Amino acid sequence: MARIEIDDLTKVYDSGDESIVAVEDLDLAVDDGEFLVLVGPSGCGKSTTLRCIAGLEDVTGGTLQFGERDVTDLRGSERDVAMVFQNYALYPHMTVRENIGFGLKLSTKLTAAEISERVESVAEMLGITELLEDKPKELSGGQQQRVALGRAIVREPSVFLMDEPLSNLDAKLRAEMRTELQELQQDLDVTTVYVTHDQTEAMAMGDRVAVMNDGVLQQVGSPEGIYRQPTNEFVANFIGSPSINLLTAEVDGNTLVGPAGFSYRLSDTAPVEGHSTVRVGIRPEDITLTEDGANHATVSVVEPMGNENFCYMELGDHELTARIDPDLRPQAGEEVRFTFDEKALYLFDADSGAALKTKSDAVSPGIGTEVSR
Amino acid sequence: MREQRRKDAVWMFLTYAFILTMVVVMLIPLYWMIVAATLPQQEFIEFPPRLIPGTAFLDNFAALQERMNYVVTIWNSVFIAVVYTVLSLLLCSMAGFAFAKYEFRFKEPLFYAILATLVLPIQLLVIPLFLMMSQIGWTDTFRAIIIPWLANPIGIFLMRQNMRSIPDALLESARMDGASELQIFYRIALPAMRSSLAALAIILFLFQWDLFLYPLVILEDPGNYTIPVALAGLEGTQRIYYDQIMVATTLAIIPMAILFLVLQKQFVSGILAGSLKE
Amino acid sequence: MSQETESTGKQITHGEPSILDRLRFARQDVAAKLPPLRGERIAYLLVSPFFVLFGLFLAFPVVYTLYLSFFEWQSVGQGNLFWVDFGPFYVEVPRIAELQFIGLSNYVRLAGDGLFWQSMFNTTYILLIQVPLMIGLALALAVALNASFVRFKGFFRTAIALPISANIVAYSTVFLLLFNEQFGFINYMLSQVGVSPIAWLTSEFWARKTIIAAVTWRWIGYNMIILLAGLQNIPQQLYEAAEIDGASRLEKFRYVTLPQLRPVLLFVVVLSTIGTFKLFAEPYVITGGGPTNATITIVQYIYRQAFVHWNLGYASALTVVFVGLVSAISIAQIRIGGDD
Repeated sequence: MARIEIDDLTKVYDSGDESIVAVEDLDLAVDDGEFLVLVGPSGCGKSTTLRCIAGLEDVTGGTLQFGERDVTDLRGSERDVAMVFQNYALYPHMTVRENIGFGLKLSTKLTAAEISERVESVAEMLGITELLEDKPKELSGGQQQRVALGRAIVREPSVFLMDEPLSNLDAKLRAEMRTELQELQQDLDVTTVYVTHDQTEAMAMGDRVAVMNDGVLQQVGSPEGIYRQPTNEFVANFIGSPSINLLTAEVDGNTLVGPAGFSYRLSDTAPVEGHSTVRVGIRPEDITLTEDGANHATVSVVEPMGNENFCYMELGDHELTARIDPDLRPQAGEEVRFTFDEKALYLFDADSGAALKTKSDAVSPGIGTEVSR
Repeated sequence: MREQRRKDAVWMFLTYAFILTMVVVMLIPLYWMIVAATLPQQEFIEFPPRLIPGTAFLDNFAALQERMNYVVTIWNSVFIAVVYTVLSLLLCSMAGFAFAKYEFRFKEPLFYAILATLVLPIQLLVIPLFLMMSQIGWTDTFRAIIIPWLANPIGIFLMRQNMRSIPDALLESARMDGASELQIFYRIALPAMRSSLAALAIILFLFQWDLFLYPLVILEDPGNYTIPVALAGLEGTQRIYYDQIMVATTLAIIPMAILFLVLQKQFVSGILAGSLKE
Repeated sequence: MSQETESTGKQITHGEPSILDRLRFARQDVAAKLPPLRGERIAYLLVSPFFVLFGLFLAFPVVYTLYLSFFEWQSVGQGNLFWVDFGPFYVEVPRIAELQFIGLSNYVRLAGDGLFWQSMFNTTYILLIQVPLMIGLALALAVALNASFVRFKGFFRTAIALPISANIVAYSTVFLLLFNEQFGFINYMLSQVGVSPIAWLTSEFWARKTIIAAVTWRWIGYNMIILLAGLQNIPQQLYEAAEIDGASRLEKFRYVTLPQLRPVLLFVVVLSTIGTFKLFAEPYVITGGGPTNATITIVQYIYRQAFVHWNLGYASALTVVFVGLVSAISIAQIRIGGDD
């Protein structure tokens, strides 16, 4: 078990005369036993970061520490880490038993009998004992997933690394495995770094969530913290489904003037002090359709989800999304009025995207550490 | 409707007739060869020819063996082809793996050099190779037959193509498990390529098994002859022993035909692998 | 599980290591002492055996053939090209051959060499009949065997493909006797239907046909297998769509099968053309190039010049022209047939 400390991690790929910065000056600490999720759109550098932690990529700059050990220059197999790959990467010609035992056979001095014992107890824990003599191609996706986990667990590593391990499963199985993985991680209490592009998965699984974009770490915090107090417009936009509504507004005294007649009077003007334009963000669940709302928009589509409705509206050229009660059924083309609470409002700097104001409506949860950049 | 059905029936009849005719045409030479190998010489050259196998096969074989020790010839061919296949498989898969999974300098130009030689007729090499072999004193040796063809362009090309389909994650996973790069090659990549290796083995084996012009030029001592060279020599002698020739050809063809029946799947995938070149 | 292993940690030891375990540990220890091979170094280690042999026995001979074609060969090399002497370590590289430079003379001679042109003509003649005949039959067989109503496909395919396994000289010898004019089986069959014996091996006209028959027999199954795989890759929906459009059997073949099969067909044609161009063993064994050089092929002629008359320089010039021709024909075929 170990705490992971990443300092100033930089990874540059040189391809001919072009060099691509995949990860830039990344600082991140993962506590002992913590489940940290790295999330971001594809190409954001999250997988590269994970591969650097795994030792599959040489870092261009910066250091990596597991506990007291500096592992920057160690090979992956010497770092005491185990990794679960996206497509499981099970060795096709080996049985499940050989797959799980392969790492022990190559890099430990355990006897064959001891390896066999360890493999069997891991198989029992994962409920795959009766599959031990099968080849990977005879297994279902979920079973392969378990074998891949078993292969990681059996080595009793101090760090687990997982690269989108659930993305190849169908939706139902994915939800099941999500819970199972979390329980497993809690039982084993192993420091875990988990990479996904799916923000729902990130929110559901992580003790803390680290959001990356363009090779730069944007924010690290508890799921609730990054949802409610994003440090910038990117995080606010990336986290949450459906996405936050964003529009540009002029600051006119204490009034925000937006497109297509949108206007909102602020009671607290401190956040917009010194800004002539700002980006305004409102979460879909914070929009209330009401007859005496100050703003209006035209309904384009209503998607009934059963427990709630998603109402898509047009505000000039902008599309707004609102999550409304299932019994509210505005018609397409209908003009509706809406309102929202100032406490639920997000404001961002129009140029840098930095947050000027975030949610302040309810009891503040434990806010995660913010990255100063 | 009835018109259509009659047309279909005619079509089916014609199709079957065509296929069966071709099957018979393909099998006649082989059948006739076996019959001839089992007849004594005087019965063989009778007219009309016999169509039913006789019982003289072993006598014919004994005569052949006495005259030219054909068992050694078969052994030579099998030995050369097997050693060649194993070594070339190793060489081609090693290099193919490097081309598929590693980056190194001169990778591109080296690969284009291989591609360029893919279309060269191998007869081109016989003259210079003959001169080289006589100079280094390899004439009339098996190594002269085996070694020059080990770096098989089709072999490396196929292995490269197939090894590209091994997921990188599989190799990385092995790396995390503590495997060295060489272990990754022989514990992960090679076993994962089993079917491609089988197909390539067939291509390589048949290539060496059928090699004729080159061993004809290199081999001098009849004790070193491979099957094709020995057969070509058999026919050139003054008195032609047809019965013995047919025994010799039967022994050259039938074991391979049986191998073909047993390994038909690998033969077919070998042929198709060769045709994936484009 | 986690409880148990946590308490025992990584030092659980019970049971003596077996011999296999000890071997494994020993290997691990040795591996740990060796310098790690990563990145480029491992790549060079893996490719170098191949490229050493490739350079020595493929690239160099190709270049050397071209070189040789400007010389007249005198004898095998006398003395050394150079040597390296480090006391116990002594390597000498002998001269490959004693040569006399004659410039383009070999090529000039080639242009006026009647037998060379005869061999060119023979090869082309055989090629122009054999390749279309074989591919036509192979295609017909492939289509027939691909028809949904045909049973015992596996058996038929195996029977037709069986000659693939036949050694080239061995089957040529069988054909030599099969087409024997006195007691050969073919003439017997013909006599049964009232045809008088044909001079399969001694008439210029028929000798070429005999060669064509032999080569076709050997390679028809090979080509059929490739074409069959190509046919099976054609999406069934195309035939169903054509069916709905009211296409006849012939029209389906013309408008669906042929265009879809085109790349495979092209490949088969190029391959067969090169194959037939390289023809050597069959005429060598069956007709010996006769009668009166009617079946001598290019490669056979090169062989004769090189290893019967020992004109190695001249034979190299012939080889250069031969390779140039084969490449030109392949490229032309791909150009004509491949533009999609």
